[in-house]
Amino acid sequence: MDNSPHILGIDGMQVSREGYDRGSVASVLTSDAPPRFAHDSEAELARILDFYGIEWRYEPDVFPISWSADGAVVESFAPDFYLPQIDLYLELTTLKQSLVRRKNRKLRWMRQLYPEVRVKLFYARDFRALMHKYRRLDFLTDVTAANGANGTGNGHSSAA
Amino acid sequence: MVIQAPPSPVTLHADVEEVLLDADTIAARVAELGTQLSADYEGRNPVLLSVLKGALVFLADLMRTMDVPSSIDLMELSSYGSGTETSGQVRILKDLSHSIEGRDVVIVEDIIDTGLTLNYLMRYLAERHPTSVRVCCLLDKPARRLAEIEIDYRGFTIPDRFVVGYGLDYDERYRNLPYIGVLKPSVYSAAPAD
Repeated sequence: MDNSPHILGIDGMQVSREGYDRGSVASVLTSDAPPRFAHDSEAELARILDFYGIEWRYEPDVFPISWSADGAVVESFAPDFYLPQIDLYLELTTLKQSLVRRKNRKLRWMRQLYPEVRVKLFYARDFRALMHKYRRLDFLTDVTAANGANGTGNGHSSAA
Repeated sequence: MVIQAPPSPVTLHADVEEVLLDADTIAARVAELGTQLSADYEGRNPVLLSVLKGALVFLADLMRTMDVPSSIDLMELSSYGSGTETSGQVRILKDLSHSIEGRDVVIVEDIIDTGLTLNYLMRYLAERHPTSVRVCCLLDKPARRLAEIEIDYRGFTIPDRFVVGYGLDYDERYRNLPYIGVLKPSVYSAAPAD
């Protein structure tokens, strides 16, 4: 059985880590049609990235993180965004706190299995801080209601 | 012999819950950065470039600690969610006043948070063919960094707190505070939507 980490491409076909080219996968995914975001916060982050000219792909890759004894993938992790210019995967966690623990665990496994892949978990407090910074206070009610905690951030008009 | 009066106690603004960096600490670090920049840029006449408005106080203090010739330039970029933005992209509200082609540029920033603005600025400046571009920031807040930025001169690395003062604002307030303080959450949490 081959237990080496694999990444599922967009067509579901497994490719070896060595043979995987994120750039080519991302280019295949480039489309004029906007994706269907699972949450408003994801759409808002996409608008922020667009504003600053940062290319992004929505859920372009699926990373298997656990396998059954016969080699079948039983658990995987699909980060919300891939930023090809920065070579960074980004996962937004703005929903239930219970999901945060699960995502933290998945992230730990992913970092062990794919140490060369840069992935960042953006917590609810990070998103709230971003909304404070950009004065998008209309988004705060939704996110705060779902999470309950207060946020931190910086609202400077020129903050980089 | 000159007898100096003891420093007067800092009056904490009612909206600030604690002082993160006092004026003396800031001044000492800014002087160190100025000394370092002076050594690195001797004979190169760098352009100190700041993005309005937060970095103004830092720029003004920093340039006065440098003992090598330099020039300054200022840019202003539209900010996401500013309410005046309709294009969906950064707009240059104030461009460079002078060409930077063939010049050594030092971007002087107040704070680097997500890195998105600076990432945009670096790409913009690269198209103007400077000899070099380096980054000098007073505050580095790496907790929410999205775009990695190579920071050549760093004043302080700070925790994920909402800071104001020494040029940094919230809704155009608090820029005049001589220290960098942590804003009370009740201030920005209670702010009405635009």
